[in-house]
Amino acid sequence: MADLSIEVRQAGDVAVLLPAGFINAHTVREFEEALEGLVRDGRYTILLNCRNLNYISSAGLGAIMGLIETVREHQGDILLSDLQPNVFAIFDTLGFTQLYRVFGGEDQALAAVTPERKG
Amino acid sequence: MNVAATMEPAEFRLVIPSQTRYLNLVTGLAKRASLVAGLDDATAAKVSIAVDEAVTNVILHAYHGEGEHSVELELRFTEKALEIHILHSGQGLRGDQVVLPDPKEYIKHPRKGGLGLLLMSRFMDEVRFKADEASGRNECCLIKKLD
Repeated sequence: MADLSIEVRQAGDVAVLLPAGFINAHTVREFEEALEGLVRDGRYTILLNCRNLNYISSAGLGAIMGLIETVREHQGDILLSDLQPNVFAIFDTLGFTQLYRVFGGEDQALAAVTPERKG
Repeated sequence: MNVAATMEPAEFRLVIPSQTRYLNLVTGLAKRASLVAGLDDATAAKVSIAVDEAVTNVILHAYHGEGEHSVELELRFTEKALEIHILHSGQGLRGDQVVLPDPKEYIKHPRKGGLGLLLMSRFMDEVRFKADEASGRNECCLIKKLD
């Protein structure tokens, strides 16, 4: 099995990126390219659905941090959903849960940024 | 036959090439070793992340990404702690050279890099760096207490 595979799909105005496996210094370039590709295409609202992400190191956090200002400058955002406990622990330990909006599930995240899905 | 476990300290070593493709192997080993030492799943995951960060630092910074060197991991199981020693002969780092970023400042001014050491220090009970200029042998020691 590959260390990392990435699926991307569109849900309305939101690009949903689903990394599966491990994001570390070996695989981070692939993750970074997927994120950068979305931004290049003008898809500035990005949801990272982490349900199949087993692990993320600081290399992966750096890739997300590297784009957060760019997407927000374009009225977009990077959202997180479905974090496994150890992945949540990394974000929470570093205080990143203050910087990113974290949701229990993808539907909740999409509802938060897609007006017509609310109520 | 039932072989009784001893409480004698035990240790073993693994030597890997200085290549990031082996990170997954190393973190898997660190997680399993943590469970063998008696740590719970959540703590074992944190130890594995700390080891990933330490080995990544050696490969990318001590060896500047050169893949033909070696990284040695020594795992020591004692009654009180799991110790993971990461040894290399690349560019050394002494404890007094380590500056941890402030997470609050980091969040105000997001940038790439600088978080690995912070994760290591938050997830382990002790992180020590030793640089021996005479021998050229350097070490990062990660300690997780078992209590």
